[in-house]
Amino acid sequence: MKRLLIVGGLIVAVLAVSVYRAKLGAEETETKIEGLQAEARKVTEEISVLKAEEAYLTRPERIGPIAHDKLNMQPAQPEQFTAPEALSRRLGEEQVRLPDTVEAPAEDKAKAGGKPKG
Amino acid sequence: MSLRGRPYEDRWGPRRARLIAGALALLFVVIVGRSAYVAVNGPGRGHNDAVAESVRRADIVDRKGEIMATSLAVWSIAADPRAVWDGKEVATSIASVLPSIDVADLTRRLSDTDRHFVWIQRGITPRQKQAVFDLGLEGLQFQQETRRVYPRGSLAGHFLGFTDVDGKGVEGAELAFNDRLSKGGAPLKLTLDAGVQHTLEDELEKAYADFDMKGGAGIVLDAATGEVRAIASWPAVDPNHPQGRSEAAKLNRAIGATYELGSIYKPLTVAAALDAGVLSTTETFDVSRPIRVGATPIKDHDPLQHPQAVTAADIIAYSSNIGVVEIARKLGVKGQKEFLGQVGLLSRLSYDGPQSAAPQPPPEWDALASATISYGHGLAVSPLAFAASYTPFANGGEYVKPLFLDPKSNLIDVSKIEKKRVMAKATAQTVLSMLREVVTRGTGANANAPGYDVAGKTGTAEKIGPDGYDSERNITSFAAVFPASRPQFVVLVMLDEAQPRTGDKRTAAYTAATIAGKVIARAAPLLDVQPVLETSRVEASSLRASEAVTQ
Repeated sequence: MKRLLIVGGLIVAVLAVSVYRAKLGAEETETKIEGLQAEARKVTEEISVLKAEEAYLTRPERIGPIAHDKLNMQPAQPEQFTAPEALSRRLGEEQVRLPDTVEAPAEDKAKAGGKPKG
Repeated sequence: MSLRGRPYEDRWGPRRARLIAGALALLFVVIVGRSAYVAVNGPGRGHNDAVAESVRRADIVDRKGEIMATSLAVWSIAADPRAVWDGKEVATSIASVLPSIDVADLTRRLSDTDRHFVWIQRGITPRQKQAVFDLGLEGLQFQQETRRVYPRGSLAGHFLGFTDVDGKGVEGAELAFNDRLSKGGAPLKLTLDAGVQHTLEDELEKAYADFDMKGGAGIVLDAATGEVRAIASWPAVDPNHPQGRSEAAKLNRAIGATYELGSIYKPLTVAAALDAGVLSTTETFDVSRPIRVGATPIKDHDPLQHPQAVTAADIIAYSSNIGVVEIARKLGVKGQKEFLGQVGLLSRLSYDGPQSAAPQPPPEWDALASATISYGHGLAVSPLAFAASYTPFANGGEYVKPLFLDPKSNLIDVSKIEKKRVMAKATAQTVLSMLREVVTRGTGANANAPGYDVAGKTGTAEKIGPDGYDSERNITSFAAVFPASRPQFVVLVMLDEAQPRTGDKRTAAYTAATIAGKVIARAAPLLDVQPVLETSRVEASSLRASEAVTQ
């Protein structure tokens, strides 16, 4: 009986320690999660700030003059558009050709294909 | 010796000992039990955790996802003067990071040790806060707050509105969609297009350079769905600084005010008469002499070239008051009222968004009121409501209400957007061709945007003064549909007391029509409207002809 009580007590003690350690582990994980959540909130806030900055910096009244002054860009004019039918016709008329393959002179061939002299 | 035989003290002594031992044992059990409970369940939640974390107000974005309004965490710096050793040193150091600080004023406030709390700067960025923090100054306190920010400044400022210090919507979309925004979550996507919005606002701003005007408004509407791509009121307002706006900028002229918009009503009168079958396109009218409605004479400010026999198309193209009053007479008061009611001009518009001002009809809709309303005097409506009334001309006769929420992201089925037939398709097409003639041969020539087939109508309405209509002050407007060959968008431009600085007449032909043309020319590429140029037309038609021959 006494031995049974001792064994039982040990089992209870082991279980208690296990539960305690599990609890500690859970608390650590919870703390870690809270830390990550706080970091996520911080990053989200930073993203919000960056997005707001991007929106501020890409205002048309800012981009327009820069595009004009630095890149010489202008708003699209109606004359720059054309109907798809007219475009295909123009391409046909222009007879677009790729340049013919030019036969390399014999001397160059030798240079390219021959062994180096000397 | 039995217990009973003992003296009183001897009899109760052991009992007391057992009671005390029992109580201590019970206390021990409670302590051990509580310790075990804490070990297993943790220390419990503090009251700080019980406070619900405040929800971040949702962003507002345009139809392409560009941020229009967002909420940012900002910092405010305060100080306890009693904990500040040298006020001047602290003030000078802070000013090295925050140059806008008034060093003398801050020094004075920080040196006042009777005070316990002094704000130094509110709403600074996290970087600025860190820079101040790194100074290592004594007595400073840092508090985090949330501030509503509109990074695009005054863009769509009137429409967006603003919030109060508690982040609650006070005006505009911030107020109209406050419940949705307060819940946080995904951004609220509007139908507005930041690029088109900028174009409209920029042209209104430039209009001020050309015209000495009191105010203006503009609207670009997708006729098929009612989606508002741009809506602006001039002078603009920056929602980041709502307190600093001028009196003139407080009014949202596009939505929150009503105007008698003048002759842009004429196409509605003609459409109503055509649809009612009381007018034909070949019918002619004699507009050579003023007519009287009761005791009131009605005349044309610019007489037509051949006024003895003009058609409805001529009446629209050259904006004849006499002619349209004749047509209104044929239509009758009842027909006129019914038609204007159907196109949403007699009751406040119902839609999701900042509410439109209610129309102001005449106190008595008699023959005289009917006559003046036929050419846009006597019935004041908001520019937004009026822009919507032109959607039938672009939709084959179907009216569509304005829409401010992007259908796709707000789970609105575009195919289920209510379209109300208010006129026959043939009527809409006929009036649309008349509107095109206004630009090709009539008063709207300045609205011409090459390639975009602008169809529209000018409107010039005298404003009411203390002694009736004032010929020196007017509202000029231009309502347009483009491109006329395949209508997609409705544009309305309204200018309040626009006086050309060049000395030209202060009529819509020289003011609002010009601005509308510029807006269309710039906005059309952003709206994916392909221009059709005359050369392209010729090429395309000759190509089709040659293809037909070869087939």
